[in-house]
Amino acid sequence: SSNEHKLNFKKSKEACLSYIQDALLQKQWERAAEFLTYYVESLEKDYSRENIGPSEMIWRIGTEILWHHSQSSLKEFNCFMEQMKTLGVKRYLKVCLEHVFHLLCNGQINEAYQNLTLAESWRFGEQTAIQDKEMKLIQAYRGLLDYYSWSKQKNILLEHSEDGFSDLAAEREMHGYFRKAAVNLKEIIKIPGVWDIFVKCYVDLLEFYGDHNEARQVLNEYAYNSKFPANPNAHVYLYQFLKRQGESKKSLLSALKILHDIVPSHELMIDFNTMLQKSKKRKKRRLGLEVIFAALDYAGWKENPKAWSCLARQVKQIVISEKHLDWIKQEWNSRKDWWPAFHFSRYLAKRNWQENKSLSYEKALVAGILLGKGCKYFKYVSHQGCKAQLKRFRMLKKFVNRHNPVYLRISG
Amino acid sequence: MEFPAALFPSYFGVGPPQEEGGPAPVAGWGEHGQVLEGGPGRRQVQPVFVPRRGAMGERWEAADAAAVPVLLPSAGCWIPSPAPQDILYRSSLCRKLRASKPGSTLDFTRQLGHFFVDHPEDAFGSLGRLLHKNFYLGNSKLKVIVSRNSTIRMTALVEDIDRLEARRGCPRQHLASRLRWFSHLCRDWLFEVPLGLLADCLHEELMQQWSNLLFDDSLTGGALAWLPPEDGGTPVGCLVHPGGQAMNHLYFQDVVLEELPRTRGSPAQFELSGRVQQVAAARVDGQDFVGVRSDYHCGVWRVPCKRGAAPTPLQVIRTNVPASCLTVSPHLPGELSVCTQSGTVYLWSVETGLQQLRHDPQTMFFRDHSPWRWSDFTAHPRVLSCADRTGLQCLDARAPKRCHFDLFKVGEEAGCQQGERVVLPMYLGRAHPSQYLVTTQFSVYVLDERLPLVPVLKWAHMMKAPPLFAHLMPGKPGRSHKVLLGASRTQELLLLQYWDSFWGVSSGGSQSACQLVGTPQKLHSIAGCLEHLPTQLPHRHHLLQQRLTAPAAGLAATLQEDGPHKSMLIFQLSEAGDVFCQRLTHKAAQPPAPPSRDEATTAPGSSPLFEAPVSSPQGLGAAALRYRRWLRALSRTCREPPRHTWPPSLSQRRLFTRRDLEGPAGPSSLQRQMRQQLRQTMEEGGRIQRWEPLALQPPPLPQTLEMEGNPDPLSARLTAAWAGDWEQWWEERTSFSVAQRQRALRERRRRQKRARGHRSLSASFTSSLTYQSELSELSDAGPPLLSPSHPPTLSQEGSPPASSPLIHSPATSAAPDEALLSSQNLRCQGIPKERRKTLRDYLSLWAEGPPEPPEPLGSQASQLCIPSSQSQLSSASQPRRKRPRMGF
Repeated sequence: SSNEHKLNFKKSKEACLSYIQDALLQKQWERAAEFLTYYVESLEKDYSRENIGPSEMIWRIGTEILWHHSQSSLKEFNCFMEQMKTLGVKRYLKVCLEHVFHLLCNGQINEAYQNLTLAESWRFGEQTAIQDKEMKLIQAYRGLLDYYSWSKQKNILLEHSEDGFSDLAAEREMHGYFRKAAVNLKEIIKIPGVWDIFVKCYVDLLEFYGDHNEARQVLNEYAYNSKFPANPNAHVYLYQFLKRQGESKKSLLSALKILHDIVPSHELMIDFNTMLQKSKKRKKRRLGLEVIFAALDYAGWKENPKAWSCLARQVKQIVISEKHLDWIKQEWNSRKDWWPAFHFSRYLAKRNWQENKSLSYEKALVAGILLGKGCKYFKYVSHQGCKAQLKRFRMLKKFVNRHNPVYLRISG
Repeated sequence: MEFPAALFPSYFGVGPPQEEGGPAPVAGWGEHGQVLEGGPGRRQVQPVFVPRRGAMGERWEAADAAAVPVLLPSAGCWIPSPAPQDILYRSSLCRKLRASKPGSTLDFTRQLGHFFVDHPEDAFGSLGRLLHKNFYLGNSKLKVIVSRNSTIRMTALVEDIDRLEARRGCPRQHLASRLRWFSHLCRDWLFEVPLGLLADCLHEELMQQWSNLLFDDSLTGGALAWLPPEDGGTPVGCLVHPGGQAMNHLYFQDVVLEELPRTRGSPAQFELSGRVQQVAAARVDGQDFVGVRSDYHCGVWRVPCKRGAAPTPLQVIRTNVPASCLTVSPHLPGELSVCTQSGTVYLWSVETGLQQLRHDPQTMFFRDHSPWRWSDFTAHPRVLSCADRTGLQCLDARAPKRCHFDLFKVGEEAGCQQGERVVLPMYLGRAHPSQYLVTTQFSVYVLDERLPLVPVLKWAHMMKAPPLFAHLMPGKPGRSHKVLLGASRTQELLLLQYWDSFWGVSSGGSQSACQLVGTPQKLHSIAGCLEHLPTQLPHRHHLLQQRLTAPAAGLAATLQEDGPHKSMLIFQLSEAGDVFCQRLTHKAAQPPAPPSRDEATTAPGSSPLFEAPVSSPQGLGAAALRYRRWLRALSRTCREPPRHTWPPSLSQRRLFTRRDLEGPAGPSSLQRQMRQQLRQTMEEGGRIQRWEPLALQPPPLPQTLEMEGNPDPLSARLTAAWAGDWEQWWEERTSFSVAQRQRALRERRRRQKRARGHRSLSASFTSSLTYQSELSELSDAGPPLLSPSHPPTLSQEGSPPASSPLIHSPATSAAPDEALLSSQNLRCQGIPKERRKTLRDYLSLWAEGPPEPPEPLGSQASQLCIPSSQSQLSSASQPRRKRPRMGF
């Protein structure tokens, strides 16, 4: 009966698919390709109502095979992709995008651009939400390629202007690229998402043409719009823009303060701490201490010599001046039950000493002040340092011994 | 660690997942996802783009054709966990019902019946004792004596019950009114435990077992841990694994990393008070901390890095609700996190004890019924992640109520599908301090806690079962990290490679986003070795299959660098307690290899695993030797358990009248002769072959059959098939004229009738001998190679196990049956024709009772212990039920 036939057909289709899957997972591309030629038959009698139909499967599997097959060429790949685009209307844009990605990764920028232009002009009935998103991405990537053309043109023109030439046609062409790029890039960055590369390019365009207000607005929107994810890069771009614009310290600090609040372990916290330490205001210096303590809480900073030297410098300053010991005390309070095991164990002392002497110096200084001269880390490092007859370490020992009462006040 | 200077573009939505879907078989292929410019720093002629997925990765290739056992099977037989057919109701009626209603039906009555039969004392103890005087179960008529007039005869009721059992699955089941009457009468008082209560408990348990069969999350995380060798020390690591019949022993086994890892010394062993569900390990300050979770207990051990030093148990905690997670802090020594199914998360420090961080029986982001909870550490030693099926949150242990943020949500934020659920989160700290792995049943995500909710990497893993195990092997700077995903039920193993961040080619040192590189690679599963093992007897094959396809229970791996040679060792633990290992070797970039050998076409037993490599001095691969040892040990450990059930004894009275069964006037002379000889042999304790007149001459070898002038068609066909020209034989056969065929047939029948009495007996006899000899050979060494030149028939009769008198019991019991079964005999007993077949089937069933020869004491025999294999054993020893009928 036809029902049975359908069932058998379905079974053999599934078996074939599992063979292909097996071959793909074992990197047997030739074998997979052979099976795929049989699987193509499933297109003819497509009874499935599944999420991913046979045509999509063939697209996915075929693409994967052509990426890796020893005898495939880009020409064949393009040919295959063209066929796949006609196979399913719903997937047309997606296949186009993937095709473009592959071309871009293979350095075929012009072909990719042509494909993007073609895809952009494609219309078929009413667009679904997903197709709408895909279309926006296609436009954005075209904008990106326009930006690269613009930037290339700009570099050529800049070189020429150094030579004293001016080329009006080339300049006009460059402005044309700018317009095309700006329109598309502007569109996509309005939609919530992660658009680092698009934002960067758009801001670069705006800055070149002197539209700083628009650039600032774009960056502010990207960083502070609550509909967007909390992307640290958005704040970094804003900070870098402000820095380029020569903005006041205050606005730089406030940008970094927000970054500190969302990502206390960001690498810019070193800059933030340095800026705060230099400040005359007590509150700012206090914040600086907080920032550097918070950064060193994270495992990624554990062996960062820069961060340790920042902390050591500030702690030393405070101890020498004997003012604001309570700042240290407060920071130390929430950490004294786990920092010793996390940072100042004997094992770490040994390892730090072997791997990075200056790191172990900074850490030993902090350990000596926070935990007193009896601390394992300090004892080991200062002992090793004195044994190796390094002057720094002798000074360190003297310093910690002299200021040992501080430890009592901090821990008390 | 720096944050990537630019991330791959992606949309960000909020709310529940929009995408409909489900398991998609190929969803992970053929997509780059997004591209990003590789290096904007130095101006180039053209920008360089890199894909999110699809860049070149490292090439790793399996060194062997299959995974190889690391440990010998532990003593004591493994009890397989229930299979669907054990608890599901199967009958044609049920199938009809199911057609209208999807889903499966639990076989409640059978399980209840099992309880009554297995625990009669608990089920009916007191009333049974009270009533047993009043119930009479004998066959004879009950004589009414005045003093015992309160005794009633229950035999008919028991027979009714037996018949009901026999007709199980019959769609036209008539309930015996007697049974209904009896159950109606005694339902309220007969049972020790009230029936309703018992049923409730049983039902609950069945549901639990069934949901465990569908998806058992108690194994999440895996019960296998590898403690790597000390940096720069000798290459001796330690494998921590559970074992024993109930998986309640914990072993710390030193393992030397060689070509094939080799155990060293005997393991440190601890007996625990529950089944080990999870073993987690982390190295802090040069010491390994091993956390072990069973349902109601969690323990922590400290293992010094120096191998050979004994592990120290540090602390044990007990929970009221089963614990679902135990992870060990990679930051601070002796810190762990524990979750229980009641939704409580604890930070457990060996020094300061337990600190409750959260207690919430509800799931976090939307409602989900699963009580499963998980927790792990993050880049900040005081911040813990906690997860349920709906997502992940991070809590600050110093102020858990106030300070928390969402790390992952099943929703549009991460582009999830509807119905997607978190299966296993894992902190990837050893590769990148702020990255996190989350697996669901469909996809695998890499998250960066500095950019919560938006996955930095997402890929549909296409595994058939949800990945319950994951293992990270961090790569050195500039090389990819490897993640292994493992599923439990299907034993799938998948190797992925990713770069936490790639250094822009020309970006002046700024880091870029996370990338999936290379293609995912499927690794050998434990069950995959089955096809490479030497051909086994069917029942042994079945047992091996059952053992090797047991769900996986854990996963561990290690990277080994020996100068330019890099290799990866992957250990996989099965629920049966077996640890298998496979080795992958790193291939430097080279032109693609010629198409690899097609695994599917290799015949069983002829796999490369068992071919002698040229380099090996012993002539056989180390892997093959491992297998032999393992197979031998397996057959030794799993012996036949004492049998409790007797062969079914059924009354024949209901099928045949007494007259039917009455034999002819007396036994025939041949039968008399046989019986006499049998009796004599038994008295002497001698061998039964002696009365067999044919056995005095050696049996004809297959070759001699060829010489024979007029062999019977079966032999001719088999001979032809053996020689490989069966087709020709068939041609000749079909060209026979009808008359010729009929003549030949008549002739054959006459011969058969004449010979039937004793020949069939000897056939059953020889085959039982064959079976034994094969068995002993198998237990001696792995591959029993029964070459055609060595016909395993009576030529083995001189060997001690075969000559043991005990073995002949099946033959003796078979003797009367055979006589009874011959149609001549039946006819002369006056049994009508239509009943003869019934009787024959019936009696052959009955004869299967004591099927296989009992084991001779002290021999190296190897019967295994699974009851369901009995029927197969018997069929191996009695291939006489069907006579071949050539050409019809």
